[in-house]
Amino acid sequence: MTENALSSEVDERRVRFTVDESIYELDVIMGAAYLFLDRCYVFLDRVGDRKVQVVLRARQAATEEELLALIGQFSSELLNQALRKQVGESNGRLREFIMAKALFAADGPSTIDRLLAELDAEEMASDDLDIPVPWEKPASE
Amino acid sequence: MMLTDLAVDPRSFDKDKVGYFRYGMVDGRVLMTNDVGEHLFLSPEDFRRFLAGQIGPEDALYEPLRRRYFFKHDFDLDALAVKIRRKKAFLQHGPHLHAVVTTLRCNHACRYCHASRTDMDRVDTDMSLDTARKVVDFAFRSPTPVLGFEFQGGEPTANFPVIQFVCDYALEKNRYENKELLLSLVTNLTLMDDEKMNYLLDKGVMVCTSLDGPADLHDYNRGWTGKTSSYASVTGWMDKFNAEWVRRGFDPDLFHVDALMTTTRASLTRGKEIVDEYVGRGIRSVHIRPLNPFGFAVNTWKQIGYSMDEFLEFYRTTLDHVIALNRQGVFVQERLASLFLTKMLTPDDPNYSDCRSPCGSGSAQLAYNFDGSIYTDDEGRMAAHMGNDFFKLGHVDSSSFDEVLRHPTVKALAVASIQDALPACHSCVYKPTCGVQPLHNYMFDGDIFGQRPLSRKCQEFYGVQKYLYHLLANDADGSVERIFRRWTISRSRPGTTPYAPANEVSS
Repeated sequence: MTENALSSEVDERRVRFTVDESIYELDVIMGAAYLFLDRCYVFLDRVGDRKVQVVLRARQAATEEELLALIGQFSSELLNQALRKQVGESNGRLREFIMAKALFAADGPSTIDRLLAELDAEEMASDDLDIPVPWEKPASE
Repeated sequence: MMLTDLAVDPRSFDKDKVGYFRYGMVDGRVLMTNDVGEHLFLSPEDFRRFLAGQIGPEDALYEPLRRRYFFKHDFDLDALAVKIRRKKAFLQHGPHLHAVVTTLRCNHACRYCHASRTDMDRVDTDMSLDTARKVVDFAFRSPTPVLGFEFQGGEPTANFPVIQFVCDYALEKNRYENKELLLSLVTNLTLMDDEKMNYLLDKGVMVCTSLDGPADLHDYNRGWTGKTSSYASVTGWMDKFNAEWVRRGFDPDLFHVDALMTTTRASLTRGKEIVDEYVGRGIRSVHIRPLNPFGFAVNTWKQIGYSMDEFLEFYRTTLDHVIALNRQGVFVQERLASLFLTKMLTPDDPNYSDCRSPCGSGSAQLAYNFDGSIYTDDEGRMAAHMGNDFFKLGHVDSSSFDEVLRHPTVKALAVASIQDALPACHSCVYKPTCGVQPLHNYMFDGDIFGQRPLSRKCQEFYGVQKYLYHLLANDADGSVERIFRRWTISRSRPGTTPYAPANEVSS
């Protein structure tokens, strides 16, 4: 966030500042902006190469001090959103694997597996060819 | 509301040691949660050491962090998968809660009524016996091992023959189906008589009514066409039912009339009296429920509505009173807290349809209107009566169970309530113990996704969970956690299971 942006463009209900995308990625900026929806109308615009302008317009009347506080809160939230993004990315594949293991691992054999096993058992009960007998053992006559 | 007032340096994050977690601030401490619902409080300084991978096996914090799966270089992957599977066990079953609207007729005109209702002479809004039979046949197609029928209205007892038919037919059918069958009735009790009561008791139908507090408050909220007080009628029948359960030899702790309250503006200063009214009647569970601005409440909102901040203040002071009673040896729980605490403090999920990810609309519950139309849930049915059939899934005359379950609307609602894919939810510290109900979003915003920071339901759930964690964070002697853990223990009624809370839908 640029220094001059912090001190500029504060009017009756609105504060305007610029975020540098080389420091904070766009989804981090949007993630932070989303959390302000309960108190502000949020407008994002690209005002230059890798420069995102954020305008927060308070939903209710706000003092200049309160408007300036929004910039501080937004800056702090950018850091937290950046951290959350890192935590998510560094654990993403592991989480997907664990979720797949948790949700798609069967407790026991599936219905089809059970049916096949029953059919096998029935067929093997009269197995003239001694199919379940290991090949290295002599088959019965 | 959801901002994190914590200075962190994302560059000092040790991606090789730190597992997945979410975090937020509670009373100046960092609350960490993860996918299995574990939580831990750290000081900001310890949190930064954890992030930087500076907490090693010699550190006192190492074992609490490791045991709760916050490290990724030292954990049991299989055990973690099993824990997640247990938390999401509700995904393994089909719809278990089937709300049957026996009629739209009602003798009450409550200020906040969510349910669509008609006057008592509108018998054309009664369910027919033929439709009732098809409803039972349809519901039994669900693969769920636990099947619940919940009679709703209007005032469902205005069409008592359909209640009798559904109970008799379901019980008979279940002799061959062998499911765990739950029968419950949501009623204002004012049309009750001895014959109906004895039938319900004979069939094991559990009764849930509305009791908004002391007489003047209850009667203010729940106007009716009778000449006497609604409160007098309701409480008289509650006492009679409860006495009859005891006379028949049943444990009154398990077999009694349950009650629900709805908070109006008139309730906001009377939380203590409401709880005392419940306790005085031997009711061990109070569900402090906010008013939803739909149904009749849309028109009366200016008179009886309030902000979510006002509700949360009411909730907190009322919950404090409930906890104080427990400290005095009076066992009473707050129901919403107990639902969240089950998620926070136990390996299980209570399978509360309105607070799941994904939600249970159409996949855990279905609602059958009097005419046999099938809806995702009772809110979906209400939306239809407000002119939008968007949540209608089919009809018992013509739809197969597969068609209903695989309906695009059911899929859309599931997608709209998977928190891992919702902005703000996916990184919210309360995500593992929370849930989304897209129908609420739709009722408020006309959009099943909605925007989290603007959602009243999000504000409610966020505020309640924040307060519960606040109480746990400041529980120096462990006394609050001991009380909270008791609230997570559900005793089953013989022949039933605590599989899911029924009777949660407003009547």
